[in-house]
Amino acid sequence: MKEPLIRMEGVSFDYRLNSEEVVRVLRDVSLDIYPGEYVAIIGHNGSGKSTLAKHFNGILKPTEGNVYVAGFNTKDDRYRREIRRRVGMVFQHPDNQIVATIVEDDVAFGLENIGVPPREMRKRIDAALEAVGMSSYRNRPPHHLSGGQKQRVAIAGVLAMEPRCLVLDEATSMLDAHGRREILQVLRRLHQRGMTIIAVSHHMSEAAEADRVLVIEAGRIAMEGPPREIFQRQELLRRLQLDIPVATRLAGRIHERVPDFQPDLIHPREIVDEVVRIAGKKGAAG
Amino acid sequence: MAREFELTRNITVGQYLPTGSFVHRLDPRIKLLACGILILAIAFCNSYGGNLIVLAFSCLLFRLSRIPLRYGLSGVKPAIPFIVILAVLQLLFYGDIASGGRVYLEYGLIVITSDSLRLVIVSALRFIEIIFVSSVLTLSTSTTQLTHGMESLLKPLGYLKFPVHEFSLIMTIALRFVPTFAMEMEKMIKAQASRGAEFGTGSWWQIFRRTKEMLPIIVPLFRVAMERAEDLILAMEARCYTPGGTRSRFRTYQTTFRDGLTLLFILCFSLLLWMYPFPY
Ligand SMILES: Nc1ncnc2c1ncn2[C@@H]1O[C@H](COP(=O)(O)OP(=O)(O)OP(=O)(O)O)[C@@H](O)[C@H]1O
Ligand SMILES: [Mg+2]
Repeated sequence: MKEPLIRMEGVSFDYRLNSEEVVRVLRDVSLDIYPGEYVAIIGHNGSGKSTLAKHFNGILKPTEGNVYVAGFNTKDDRYRREIRRRVGMVFQHPDNQIVATIVEDDVAFGLENIGVPPREMRKRIDAALEAVGMSSYRNRPPHHLSGGQKQRVAIAGVLAMEPRCLVLDEATSMLDAHGRREILQVLRRLHQRGMTIIAVSHHMSEAAEADRVLVIEAGRIAMEGPPREIFQRQELLRRLQLDIPVATRLAGRIHERVPDFQPDLIHPREIVDEVVRIAGKKGAAG
Repeated sequence: MAREFELTRNITVGQYLPTGSFVHRLDPRIKLLACGILILAIAFCNSYGGNLIVLAFSCLLFRLSRIPLRYGLSGVKPAIPFIVILAVLQLLFYGDIASGGRVYLEYGLIVITSDSLRLVIVSALRFIEIIFVSSVLTLSTSTTQLTHGMESLLKPLGYLKFPVHEFSLIMTIALRFVPTFAMEMEKMIKAQASRGAEFGTGSWWQIFRRTKEMLPIIVPLFRVAMERAEDLILAMEARCYTPGGTRSRFRTYQTTFRDGLTLLFILCFSLLLWMYPFPY
């Protein structure tokens, strides 16, 4: 088995409210994330998803337990830079993570921070903007861009640092359907090229894109597995106040009426395939 | 009223107009320096003759940078009330101080002399010239170039432990968020107006009333600003930003012969303005 890129061992985390009070947000979380994986993290509001995500690049440090990124313990401040250039993070608000007044300069920000020489920077910026399809906007000011475009710039800013892993904390939640599609396309492409992706999301159809889904409840991992399996356990999901993808619900309904119809579908395109399959069979029989 | 809502449109700070002219291609450091020298010279120029020459020169600057003069004029427009108030005050109360020259009018405390009249006209002209010159600077230089230029010029202060880079980063971020906050403010004004709040009902001289009307905007705006700041800090940290850390630079500027020549010319021009005894 490959070495995990991120390993969490018995991580608990407390937010300190004041000198006496603390609130425990993560409880004994252990998990491994392997290079090239696409992991979705779901859970209802306040379940601790963002807190968990902030442990992946050492923004937060565990109160108990340890987090290792490519072998570096996040508690060791000497490795902070090494960790953060390996695990990039994209946040929810497209507006609040762009620093510069020109797209290109923003992508350069992270590179300047890690001291990449100017000539090398040029190459990396071009490649990063290309990867998110924003090359033609390189000289635009960010406030002239749509939400989806801003979010792509934010991704480019992280990609330029050539990370091994991309963590997205509800990066699509402020976007409209079109913007969301843009981002998902970018993620799919990056994943195909071997990028590790960890996506926190409220959209079940987005979680369906992943190889593995982690369901967080009250700071614990409540469920874990491939999306197809997770979304079949609807009773449990409902108790955790979580939805299922539209495609799965539709497939379930059809399955009730047509027992031959597969219920464990998670993508709309699978519904289409299944309908074609069944119609074909009917045609052959009749 | 609808006018009051359209804030984003009124923002001209950092309105960069790329035309690719000679002025645009100058080294931003040189441009900043030249602009500073020129403004200083304008501030010391007291004659009609000198000011007319500078006015003509600043119009020429617009031509050189291929920027329509109306951009300069739109910068002057919001300053007109100040120019008028200043002029009236100077006209009424400076007669005693600038008492040289012929007396045109004497009425109680109010004395108008040819010198005080000169002061009024020259001040107004200076105001307009400075707006023109700085407009050419901001219209022909992107905000990135401006902040980088500033950073580079301030670098010597670094030896005195002045946080030059942090200062320039703060400026960049401030400029970056001007349009964002303008949009935010527009949204809030609309939200408050739809709940019955009134904006822009007082005339511009009713300063207290207008300020009071803005309060329901300013308080939530501060809140939003704090939230944004927190997010931004996180995003910057996640991209390896460490305050005071060593960084490399994406943009570097090269001073060419042309830049040197420009600076020399502006220097001579300014000295001439300052020293030459204009007859009027
Ligand atoms: N800075 C903080 N100080 C104290 N408590 C916090 C802080 N940030 C979050 N919390 C608490 O920690 C819990 C988990 O928060 P977290 O942001 O991780 O949840 P989340 O799953 O990301 O929720 P959402 O879906 O709303 O983004 C919440 O109950 C929240 O109130
Ligand atoms: Mg969250």
